[in-house]
Amino acid sequence: MAAAAEEAEFDNSLRLYTYRQVVATGKAPTVAQAAAEMGGSEAAVRAAYARLGESHAFMLTEKGELWRVAPFSAIPTPFPVESGGRTYYANCIWDALGVPAMLGQDATIPASCACCNLEMTLRVKAGSLLPHEGVIHVAVPARRWYEDVVFT
Amino acid sequence: MGRWCRQWKREQGGSFSLQQGWELARLWYGDRMSPKWRPFNAQEAQEVFAKVGLTGEFWSLK
Repeated sequence: MAAAAEEAEFDNSLRLYTYRQVVATGKAPTVAQAAAEMGGSEAAVRAAYARLGESHAFMLTEKGELWRVAPFSAIPTPFPVESGGRTYYANCIWDALGVPAMLGQDATIPASCACCNLEMTLRVKAGSLLPHEGVIHVAVPARRWYEDVVFT
Repeated sequence: MGRWCRQWKREQGGSFSLQQGWELARLWYGDRMSPKWRPFNAQEAQEVFAKVGLTGEFWSLK
């Protein structure tokens, strides 16, 4: 029981450390960096990320490094978000909107229409999304989103 | 949307407005930096979808 509580505490601390790193630097920490900062082994950090990944919020590459720290992407994507003087990358338009929602700060999202590349720059200001024409299309039914997260 | 579906040979899925997307993002990610954050269970997630008007078969998590 105590071990489970310690594990949960470690996972939560790692989660918060990882988010703070992404917010501060625009980049996800490597497993080695996280292990050094958290005072754990790389295996322990990887196992914790795997547990955090059960909610699909954190996901690891085949090499065992973070590629998804939802709403952020650890690798560049077509969904950049400019906020607080930094450029972040999100995994999809829902996540791109999630960045200012999470940070509680203004943002510019230089998005484009998926079918015709028409520029669709979205702006969040003082807690509101400024009006803009457009719709968000989700191709995959909700129950199948995590069968192939990259495609979804 | 129709053009995208034709390009990618996909059936049209679900869609919602940008404002719905913003509300969804706020509900989904608004407390993500909180030390007390925990993931939604399926029922809670479904309730969030419903709050922003995403109901019906396409948005069902079951």
